[in-house]
Amino acid sequence: MNLRRKKKLNTTNSKFRSLITHFDKKSPISEQYRTIRTNIEFSAVDKSYKTIVVTSSGPGEGKSTTTANLAVVFAQQNKKVLLIDGDLRKPTVHYTFQLDNTIGLTNILTGQSTCDAAVKSSEVEHLSVLTCGPIPPNPAEMLGSDAMKKLLEHVAEQFDIIIIDSPPVLAVTDAQILANLTDGIVLVTKSGQTEYDMAIRATELLKNSRAKLLGAVLNHKDQKQSNYYYYYGNK
Amino acid sequence: MKETMEEISLIEIFQTLKKRIWLIISITSVAAIASAIISFFVLTPIYQSSTQILVNQAKNEQMPYNVGNIQTDLQLINTYNVIIKSPAILEKVANEMELDRTAEALNNQIQVASEKNSQVFSITVQDPDPVLAAEIANKTATVFQREIKHIMNVDNVSILAKAVISDNPSPIKPQPVLNIAIAIVVGLMAGVGIAFLLEYLDNTIKSEQDITKILDIPVLGIITVINLDAEENKRQQPAFAAKIGSEKVES
Repeated sequence: MNLRRKKKLNTTNSKFRSLITHFDKKSPISEQYRTIRTNIEFSAVDKSYKTIVVTSSGPGEGKSTTTANLAVVFAQQNKKVLLIDGDLRKPTVHYTFQLDNTIGLTNILTGQSTCDAAVKSSEVEHLSVLTCGPIPPNPAEMLGSDAMKKLLEHVAEQFDIIIIDSPPVLAVTDAQILANLTDGIVLVTKSGQTEYDMAIRATELLKNSRAKLLGAVLNHKDQKQSNYYYYYGNK
Repeated sequence: MKETMEEISLIEIFQTLKKRIWLIISITSVAAIASAIISFFVLTPIYQSSTQILVNQAKNEQMPYNVGNIQTDLQLINTYNVIIKSPAILEKVANEMELDRTAEALNNQIQVASEKNSQVFSITVQDPDPVLAAEIANKTATVFQREIKHIMNVDNVSILAKAVISDNPSPIKPQPVLNIAIAIVVGLMAGVGIAFLLEYLDNTIKSEQDITKILDIPVLGIITVINLDAEENKRQQPAFAAKIGSEKVES
């Protein structure tokens, strides 16, 4: 009994940690995500960035958490947001939002399901989620297919903004494929982990794609080094 | 061709030291503790004992005491310094004291020092046993005084002060306080050196400046470390405050 309760608490904690913008809107970290949202909107002065892919140079840099929270803060603006789990190798979006992953993106791309059936509504208002679905043997080919291109064109008509979580740039080609199908790219870097040469290589690869590299998000920075962010939260 | 000099500000230096402060403290502490353990428990305490010898011509009623004799005595002291540490003296000392050590071993224990322009010189002996140190010093002086008459045909040596053992002798080495102080200084230097080396070898992105400078792309934002406990406490505080407020109203 105690073990089950403990497990449930841990799940709640990890969910709270991942979706801090939803569970604690007034937190300083939520404010930081809103700053990123504002900066992305400022980037779209000359051109509308409807589809945004979020990636990083390597694994474990916090791109999935950033993607989820970014989708939440856009939804909080009363915009119709679709969050797509484009990481067909290690999908995490369904864990973050605690959704069923039996039907998802891969089912649509293989013609086994329709977009309307696969897209799920989340507990966050105005935010819909398209989970990964069953993990395919050929993720890169699926993401680069015409079906993916048509899907993005279709959802662009239904939603105000589409945010795609993608695998790391240097690990696989998936992120580059997605970058060529979208309007903007956000590169997530982790303070004290992302190495210079890896970040440079990732930036060069992304700059060669069709989409515009909007900028970088510096993740996991020590609080002591950025006290000025804590003006709002502690009031 | 323009060369750009990379500036290192004092703030950056202090930030590096602050960032690695525990490493510096750890290395310094380990060095100090290791030094203390070695000084107190590993190294054998060494005691020192000295005897003083006066080189002076025997007073002769016919021969007046003159400066020339003093000069001769001063020049002889340098010779005596060598003779005292020679096997001719030290082997006799070892035999007479029945010491289980060679003349060479004794030689390493004995130091002969003379003050400048002084007719007095001292025989200093270092040994783990304070009693034995005093005995060796006294025996060396006695044997030297006796043997110099035969070696150089002179009788100008007299023992001025014998080596004595105090009631509570203190060792001259190791000096734990000095050793610990040196270890702390060396530890600090090593710690600071390692801290800067690690900082130099660290090729990871740490700040917004790194992104703009290295990647040449704008920084959209910074996400600080999510401290789950702090956030949970923050969420619980308003409810707790409301509860207290309601209790006050009721009472």
